[in-house]
Amino acid sequence: MSLTLSLHTSPEVPVEADVISPDRLNNLNESALSALPVFHGNVQAKIGDFFKVQGQYNGEIRVEGDLSKVKHIGAGMTSGRLIVNGDVGAHLGAGMQGGKIIVDGNVADWAASEMTGGRIIIKGNAGHMLGSSIRGSATGITGGEIIVHGNARNEAGQAMRNGLIVIGGNSEDLTGVNMLSGTIIVLGKMGIRTGAGMKRGTILSMHDADLLSTFTYACTYHPTYLRLYLTYIKKLGFQIDDAKLSGNYERWAGDSIELNRGEILLYRN
Amino acid sequence: MSENTRTIKNAVCTFCGCVCDDMELTVDLDEHRITKAKNACILGRSWFSEHVIEDRPIAAIGGKEVSFEEAVEESAQILTKAKFPIIYGLSEASVEAQREAVAIADYMRGSIDSTSSVCHGPTGMAFQGVGESTTTLGEVKNRADLVIFWGCNPAEAHPRLFTRYAVTTKGMFIPRGKKDRTVVLVDPRKTASAPVANIHIRPKPATDFEMIWALRALIKGKKVNASIEKVTGVPLETLQDLAERMKNCNFGVVFFGMGLTMGRGRYFNTGALFSMVTDLNEYTHFVVKPARGHGNVTGADQVLTWQTGYPFGVNFNLGYPRFNPGEFTAVDNLARDGADAAMFIASDPASNFPKAAVEQMKRIPVISLDTRRSVTSELAYVVFSTSAWGLNEHGTAYRMDDIPITLRPAFESPYPSDVVILSAIKNRVFELNIDKRSIGMSARSDIGKATLHASM
Ligand code: SF4
Repeated sequence: MSLTLSLHTSPEVPVEADVISPDRLNNLNESALSALPVFHGNVQAKIGDFFKVQGQYNGEIRVEGDLSKVKHIGAGMTSGRLIVNGDVGAHLGAGMQGGKIIVDGNVADWAASEMTGGRIIIKGNAGHMLGSSIRGSATGITGGEIIVHGNARNEAGQAMRNGLIVIGGNSEDLTGVNMLSGTIIVLGKMGIRTGAGMKRGTILSMHDADLLSTFTYACTYHPTYLRLYLTYIKKLGFQIDDAKLSGNYERWAGDSIELNRGEILLYRN
Repeated sequence: MSENTRTIKNAVCTFCGCVCDDMELTVDLDEHRITKAKNACILGRSWFSEHVIEDRPIAAIGGKEVSFEEAVEESAQILTKAKFPIIYGLSEASVEAQREAVAIADYMRGSIDSTSSVCHGPTGMAFQGVGESTTTLGEVKNRADLVIFWGCNPAEAHPRLFTRYAVTTKGMFIPRGKKDRTVVLVDPRKTASAPVANIHIRPKPATDFEMIWALRALIKGKKVNASIEKVTGVPLETLQDLAERMKNCNFGVVFFGMGLTMGRGRYFNTGALFSMVTDLNEYTHFVVKPARGHGNVTGADQVLTWQTGYPFGVNFNLGYPRFNPGEFTAVDNLARDGADAAMFIASDPASNFPKAAVEQMKRIPVISLDTRRSVTSELAYVVFSTSAWGLNEHGTAYRMDDIPITLRPAFESPYPSDVVILSAIKNRVFELNIDKRSIGMSARSDIGKATLHASM
């Protein structure tokens, strides 16, 4: 049986629970697990104060309940599977290095910030700063995959240096702002100021977008590698029709204020 | 008016970020009020004349008058018991009071935030992200031959900025005053500042970022898509002309205000402006200054940065300061994360915060320190009446260009200053906390490591 943590008491104020991560919970029995420290606001509490702990870690942790006030779940994890049933608070999987997080719900801001490896799958919507950098640092995610089936808000993939972000719904403003490299795929619409300050990297959208005046139209073509990417995300459960697999895309180069080596691809026909 | 008056020379007006220090105040000592404020602008005059001693109890709990000591004890208990308390305000308080407030936030392990988070917070974030090419107002007065006001309206918000520092005043290298300066206003509206401008550029609202981005490209000699006129409403030629003026001036300065910081894009707008100014320094000397509003909001940024490393939105839950606007800023703390106690210092958030945040204020114990009655003090549980900073108390205030100015009080108040109140609360919180925190310290040092690591 895998390890299950079900929320029995909703916290009044945010709980910081970066202990909820395979790295920290393996090899412990139920009572040792329940005694692990979390922070409830400024007071130290125990996992057991909020969660009912059942089972033993066998490579998988399940967390259940309305976790919208529980922050930092899975932060820094390196391996294993973490399955979250319910909405979850900020900083989910921040600095994650490996393993897999699957969320059946919505996630708050800063999910997967500065991740370096592993995969996060979000079945609902993501908040602001998805896969971004932490305030004050220059680089966002440097690897890994972030797969969102719903929408994402502002600054998705801000300053990313590598990795893949897929957003099945729409993204809001400043998608891929200050991006250094990597790939962002938005199947829905993007807000304004996409790719502002980007140096390299690819942002793809299946819809038209209002681009900044520092992006220039290059050509309309069919990038070969795109088919590979789209086939891959189709396998992850996204709807991609054949027209898009073999279709033509407008290529816009930018941001000319920076290196002008980035590209925004917009589906044409 | 009585005969018993006193005149105070070189007094300081703390109403706006100009912090004018050439006031000549006439004080009626019997009536405890200022009857004349020579040199003050219209805002300053009403600031000085408004300050009369209101008849309020020094302290009240739940609407009942109590002694100072009882109110201090109650406040300290509230703040110590809380798990996620917040201190907010600070802009109309002296540096000395702000320093005490930071100490309380540290001891109680809560959040501290200033009114910056709802005005120039994005500026602080852009400082961190981009850096600032800065200046003092004295340099602007003596050197600036190109003055740009972006999304601010000094004629109504900082009336003496024009006459004392930036437009009409004559300087060492600007002998003829306004004749030697080019003044540009960027604002969608025709504000009261428009008449002083030689050039008024009126972009469509909330297109500042697009306009600055295009200017950056032009400054760097890059091509700009002609669609820019459609987006911003400003013809490409106008932008080209402005870019050339900026590159060719001797000393340029941009003052910007909330039109920029609170528009869509927030810290990206200010970040873009700072980047543009950085770009310009390849060609000439160019600087940028936020036109800060409330008296000592600049001081709040200064004190918080000096004490915690960050300008606003700082949280001490884990025992060390963490900075995250959007997470630890007052509105978010109240509206989303359910702060369970709040202390508001010299500010009235109940009158201007979003509804969800105000609703939360009504549910939790609130402590208010203010010189006068306000919406916040009405809903507060513990209310302190304070003397007015700058008028009744000594202290220090920061001008918008980060210059500290010593205050010269005009008359005495029967109420204690916020420094006195805050330091009493601080001492009591410290005592109470020693008991509360003596357990569990070792485990605390372990938690949050992953996060800390990630933030490095
Ligand atoms: S400009 Fe500002 S500081 Fe100066 S007198 Fe007017 S309100 Fe006071």
